[in-house]
Amino acid sequence: MAKKIKQIAIYGKGGIGKSTTTSNLSAALSELGLKVMQFGCDPKSDSTNTLRDGRYIPTVLDTLREKSTVKAQDVIFEGYNGIYCVEAGGPSPGVGCAGRGIITAVELFKQQKVFEALDLDIVIYDVLGDVVCGGFAVPIREGIAEHVFTVSSSDFMSIYASNNLFKGIQKYSNSGGALLGGVIANSMGTPYSREIIDDFVAKTQTQVIEYIPRSVTVTQSELQGKTTIEAAPTSAQANIYRSLARKIAEHTESKTPSPLEISELRAWAAKWGDYLLEVEQGKVTSQGQAI
Amino acid sequence: MSKFIDRPRYTCALGGALATLRAIPRAIPIVHASAGCGHNLHNANNPGGGYVGGGYCGGLSLPSSNVVERDIVFGGEDRLREQITTSLEVMDGDVYLVLTGCMVEMIGDDLDAVVTEFLGAEKPVIAVHTPSFRGNSFTGYELVLSALAKKYVAKQAVKEPLSVNVLGIVPVQDVFWEGNLKELKRLLERLGLRVNTLFGEGEGLESIRKAGAASLNIVVSDIYGLETARVFEQVHDIPYITTGFPIGADETADFLRTVAQALSIDPSVTEAVIASEKSVYYGYLERLADIYNDIDLQRYAVVVADANYAPGAAKFLSDELGWLPELVVITDPVDENQKETLLKRFDGYESGLTPAVFFDTDASAVRKYLSKIWPANRNDRYYDSFSPAVILGSVFERELAAEFGYPLLTVSYPVTNRIVLNRAYAGFSGALSLTEDLLGLLVAGR
Repeated sequence: MAKKIKQIAIYGKGGIGKSTTTSNLSAALSELGLKVMQFGCDPKSDSTNTLRDGRYIPTVLDTLREKSTVKAQDVIFEGYNGIYCVEAGGPSPGVGCAGRGIITAVELFKQQKVFEALDLDIVIYDVLGDVVCGGFAVPIREGIAEHVFTVSSSDFMSIYASNNLFKGIQKYSNSGGALLGGVIANSMGTPYSREIIDDFVAKTQTQVIEYIPRSVTVTQSELQGKTTIEAAPTSAQANIYRSLARKIAEHTESKTPSPLEISELRAWAAKWGDYLLEVEQGKVTSQGQAI
Repeated sequence: MSKFIDRPRYTCALGGALATLRAIPRAIPIVHASAGCGHNLHNANNPGGGYVGGGYCGGLSLPSSNVVERDIVFGGEDRLREQITTSLEVMDGDVYLVLTGCMVEMIGDDLDAVVTEFLGAEKPVIAVHTPSFRGNSFTGYELVLSALAKKYVAKQAVKEPLSVNVLGIVPVQDVFWEGNLKELKRLLERLGLRVNTLFGEGEGLESIRKAGAASLNIVVSDIYGLETARVFEQVHDIPYITTGFPIGADETADFLRTVAQALSIDPSVTEAVIASEKSVYYGYLERLADIYNDIDLQRYAVVVADANYAPGAAKFLSDELGWLPELVVITDPVDENQKETLLKRFDGYESGLTPAVFFDTDASAVRKYLSKIWPANRNDRYYDSFSPAVILGSVFERELAAEFGYPLLTVSYPVTNRIVLNRAYAGFSGALSLTEDLLGLLVAGR
């Protein structure tokens, strides 16, 4: 019997550290001896840069633009530690349909049965933003990813995007779509940021799979065009990514989240607003900065 | 769940736009859409419109960008640019209208920007946004004519007195559009007017170009052509009036009086024209008096038609043919205000009859309304059955007609079971044709 390939999708608001987290996760998973593919689903096509020394790779759609048919093998590039890197790509900003582009690219890979041919253990889709249209929901529909993780900070707009994603997951959950593995809490810097995320996951009946602190090591590594795992393998931050990778490699049970209605979400945010005022008034001090 | 429409009697905005351009020789449509759009719409317009054909630039020779997945992902503007360039080169026309389908509008292709690049072309190129989600065939007619009114019709500060344009007869959706326009033109010319029907016999792009000189737009519809009339009012300062779609002596006389009044034409002229028309009209109808009475040609009737034909035909059947149009179903989607306007058309019949009027887009609904307005036969000793009856409808009423054994005359789109060339049902001559066709059904077996 063919082995089961674990397919996961990582979503989150733009700029929240999704690609950074995903690339470090891929790197850490590959260290565990797994055959990993990272599939960037963002028209910016920079998901896999740090796995390839900061270099861009030709995208599926760029290739499709030039040729009427694309052989998947032509758009797979090896990166750090043998990780297969793919970028879906997309149109220039303001034209065409990026959502359809993601669908086209993902379907092309599915049709050509590439994952099986490469004998992969795990495929990670790194998907743009907050599921603005059907195209960006493709990885969580039936037959693509099984588990979804969302990268979120304690910033309200990031939580808002995660909540939107939960709505998307809930919608497809009855038709065999992906379920939610949990939240990867990123940029944890203050004590309240952890509390906010903890409260949000409790409200939406999910879990935090890992807390990733804000770290200058990550920035330094990225400036070298590398993941933290590659550039600073012995750092504390690299170990956090390794811990995340182990948890995700072992993760089997995902669930349907309970997203908040928009009015509930606002009320919830307002409650935290009051709390933060107390922080500003000195009643609570930050502890996370020591990391 | 929102309501679905069972067998719609129209196509989409793009289909309506293509049908309208079919009626304008040397106006070339360039479709920016997937390959299926142009072909499928031709396959609806052609047979549904009594085999109107594709013409020089329709059917399979319709210029179309035929966008594929690549164009959707990256935007179809380059493909469109190429298609316009080559269409200008290959297709022999005098104006080119670029019409869009849904998919390129969904992805936001900038049609106007691309078309602007062709400002310097030898022939004008005009952009018309016609995705299906903007409306149905009737919307397509309005969009094309409004675009022509804005971009093609020459501005004329001084209007020609006694010059009129006729709007509201939608080519193909009114399967008898060409005959109807010809008849209305003939009648209006008898009032001493210069009549521009924009399309039809003797008309073409030159007529459209000159439409800005008219001093009045006559919208022969309560619903269609109004949007175009408003654009003409804004852009060309031409006022408009609306009238019912006239069938028969009474309604056509009213139509002529309404137009004459709007243009301050001497009533004695109008009345003389009406009298002369009536004399011819009744001269023919008088022939039927014997057979009508001998074998009793009075019938119940069910009218299932669009918002133009339904009121026009029902009134004619009741007040001129002496029939009993008990049930009328108007099959276009109309809003509450439009319903109110249309319902007034069924008031005050001379016969005293008040038809039951329903608005429903579903072909299958007619049967339901029939059983609603007429009591079912419960094995009563004496049962007043809805019989004998005739259905005026579209070809979609064929099953209903067969079920009840009523003869069917198809007058409303789609009319796939007839060949229609210059036949008219409007006006005086049209009413004679309608009488021929209706009573012809009844004597067919003799």
